[in-house]
Amino acid sequence: MDTSKVQLLYCKSKVYIHPSKSSKDNIAGYLALIRPDGASDLDILLSWVPEYLIRQSKDDFDNYVQVDLDPESGAISETSRVMVSPPPLNARSSHAFSIAVKDLFSIQVRQPSLGWWWGSLLFYTRTQVTLPALFFHDLESESTVNEQKRNCESFEPFSDSGDLYWGGQSFLKELRKYVKLVDATVERGLLLVNPDVADKLSFSPAAAKLVTPQPGDDNIAKLSKAWEDAKWGLMEKLAAVTRFSRKAGQQVLDRTPANVKAMLKVPEVEQLSNDFDSARIYLAEWALGIAENSDPRYDVVWMDSYDDLISSIGATDEEYDVISLAASVERRNPVTLEEWNSFFDLSGRLCITQTEVLDRIFHGGLEPSARTEGWLFLLGVYPWDSNAIERHSITSEKRNEYYRLKRHWWDDTERQNNDEFWKDQKHRIEKDVLRTDRQLEIFGQSDIPHPDPDSRFASQGANPHLEQMKDMLITYNEYNENLGYIQGMSDLLSPLYVVLQDDALAFWAFCQFMRRMERNFLRDQSGMHDQLKTLESLVRFMLPQLFEHLEKAESTHFFFFFRMLLVWYKREFEWDAVLRLWEVLWTDFYSSQFHLFLALAILDLNKEVIMAQLHHFDEVLKYINELGQSLDIDVVLMRAEQLFQRFSNTIDLIDRRRKDGQHAVLPSVPDSLRQLRDRKIVEVRESARPEGATGG
Amino acid sequence: MARKSMLKVIILGDSGVGKTSLMQQYVNKKFSTQYKATIGADFLTKELTLDDRRVVMQIWDTAGQERFQSLGVAFYRGADCCVLMFDVNNAKSFEALDTWRDEFLIQANPTDLENFPFVVIGNKIDVDETRRAVSTQKAQRWCAQKGNLPYFETSAKEATGVNQAFDVIGRNALQQDDVEGFDQEYPDGVDFSQYEQERSDCAC
Repeated sequence: MDTSKVQLLYCKSKVYIHPSKSSKDNIAGYLALIRPDGASDLDILLSWVPEYLIRQSKDDFDNYVQVDLDPESGAISETSRVMVSPPPLNARSSHAFSIAVKDLFSIQVRQPSLGWWWGSLLFYTRTQVTLPALFFHDLESESTVNEQKRNCESFEPFSDSGDLYWGGQSFLKELRKYVKLVDATVERGLLLVNPDVADKLSFSPAAAKLVTPQPGDDNIAKLSKAWEDAKWGLMEKLAAVTRFSRKAGQQVLDRTPANVKAMLKVPEVEQLSNDFDSARIYLAEWALGIAENSDPRYDVVWMDSYDDLISSIGATDEEYDVISLAASVERRNPVTLEEWNSFFDLSGRLCITQTEVLDRIFHGGLEPSARTEGWLFLLGVYPWDSNAIERHSITSEKRNEYYRLKRHWWDDTERQNNDEFWKDQKHRIEKDVLRTDRQLEIFGQSDIPHPDPDSRFASQGANPHLEQMKDMLITYNEYNENLGYIQGMSDLLSPLYVVLQDDALAFWAFCQFMRRMERNFLRDQSGMHDQLKTLESLVRFMLPQLFEHLEKAESTHFFFFFRMLLVWYKREFEWDAVLRLWEVLWTDFYSSQFHLFLALAILDLNKEVIMAQLHHFDEVLKYINELGQSLDIDVVLMRAEQLFQRFSNTIDLIDRRRKDGQHAVLPSVPDSLRQLRDRKIVEVRESARPEGATGG
Repeated sequence: MARKSMLKVIILGDSGVGKTSLMQQYVNKKFSTQYKATIGADFLTKELTLDDRRVVMQIWDTAGQERFQSLGVAFYRGADCCVLMFDVNNAKSFEALDTWRDEFLIQANPTDLENFPFVVIGNKIDVDETRRAVSTQKAQRWCAQKGNLPYFETSAKEATGVNQAFDVIGRNALQQDDVEGFDQEYPDGVDFSQYEQERSDCAC
């Protein structure tokens, strides 16, 4: 045996570094754990070696491939050790690096997000050496794909917590055999490597208390408290700095990671970090954490070492502003039918998690070809854990059920002729259906004879699709007896019918949609009132300057959002944009009331104009009513996402400071705002119709 | 900066009687059978000269479904004239005029309830005579009972009677505007704080 060789304990293929923004520059490599001859566990090397270097030796390459595909073969047994050439020394030219695991300080873990970014690991060292971030291109890695397939078989993909297996997870599992990894409670996704008590106090105070129970001695608790105080004090100062540098006025969002650098370059922030021992790394984590939340170009951010961040380019006020405003977000391409089908296994059962699908749809929407099925899932007609056979039988049951409901009123001629309420409602429905989305080709022509020659609409002829819509709404009027048909419902039904092209399925999809929309139509309008009040609180909280202006303009009842909230922006956006918007909202990805963040985003995008030009309620209403044509759905959705994150982060920060107990004056957060982080839909049912009440 | 003399006109009436069509015909001289059901509220403005006075008429179009009125009372206030509209081919829409009138007086709460100017419009007279459900006499009788309200029959579709009706609407509004003393800056008449108060007092 060649004594210069080292033992390959573990490796993972297709682990990339991304030296530049361009994917052309990505370099594939192996991440490996290597034991030099006679080395202890602490001296095991964590190495990243470019694949092309390994391929230079066929033996080495074969060994790497073998250990990658069969992790057991890297086993401990003396006789079957897999030996390879020592990894190259740290080299700027090849980017290869090796570091003893004892020199690792912490690991930043970022889970992959399907189709958006690769999962990644970033290693912080105790020795100030900066290492490039590693990206796990799981789809290219045969070993990871194999493992995912194996997991899929025994895997419950329908829980919210179910994360997809990925390469980084496999590596961390292996690394845990040699070092202790502790979750840093101060920052999500940060693992401490073999932390000592001081590290734990700094980064994981709760864990520190757990592992060093010293009843009677409250020194630890005091120390921990001191850290917490200092930390939140720091946060507060940081927030003050960013607030200070915020300028009123037009703010075009810059989506470059340079903003993070800029943030750290603020003299006050630099001073803070120098003053405070562990603060620098914490600060960087925190600042980047904000960007990381949603920035798909996070990858690029991590390519810069921490020191580079600190010492690089100067920054403008606008750039600091961006950080304090929110992270950047991006829209993705819509899910194609092919991609949609790839979410399912051969039996037609979902093979990724529901959360992943919702994330994907929230950020990209669906191609028209993927909508027919996708909407039935989103609206809950099909359960997420169903397989193709089950869905087939659901479809036929639903069809039978719909036709049964329809026949019930259809055959009841007695009622059709004599029940005044029923006749009234039918008239309302017909009147509204005839003026719903007639600009669409499908509803455009009225070229069949009207089915009821006595109808007041008989002279207009009929359109077969509008006739279906009519029947569906009459059936719904029966099905949800207390609510009945109310104006606006035909607007909600028409996209479902047009996309699904099946009256029975569209009917059930509509019933599901109406579960969350019922509160918009209540007799006493309390559901709309509540939402307008919540919007008022939200604007007051998030856009205080604008709110002040709207107060002066006597417009804080937000009545000018009535139409947008009632039928979910159907009248404001173009048809295609409405379809996109609704499927995004149905995901409930951040909030079941994300439609209120859309309103917030629309205000935010227009606040300069509103504040400069509009001084009366009628002016505000007119402006908002006529925004329709100028609204770009993607722009509004991105801004809404940013605002949601800023909203959520702000509440978190307030809560943490309140917990701290030392800040007497904190803004109060009404429950109506807290509930905006809830993903469960708000269902309010109409009460029984009072005797003799009309459908009005 | 003082705003132009503004006359605020509210059109009320059952869903589908043609409120949007009437407003569009008067202001934009156009008609479509496919105006969507109005949700919330909107208005159009038209400049006109009445007896040598230049005024801007702000015409508010509202949703006809009764329950949607409850949130919309905000813009009733400060109205100078209220148009009560029905479809001459739909008896129910005529019968609802009483409710619309009462509701308006309660919500807008004008200083002189007795003399607040209403104008009544029976629309869709272009439709086949055999379908007519409310005769001219019947409508006129109702108007006489309610204090000699002006009554017009129109076809928003064929632009029949529309300008004549709005000429009277404008004059009555202007008179009301002078009486109420909102002659320069109308929007101050809108009191939203009271609106908020009412909402939070109500059990809904």
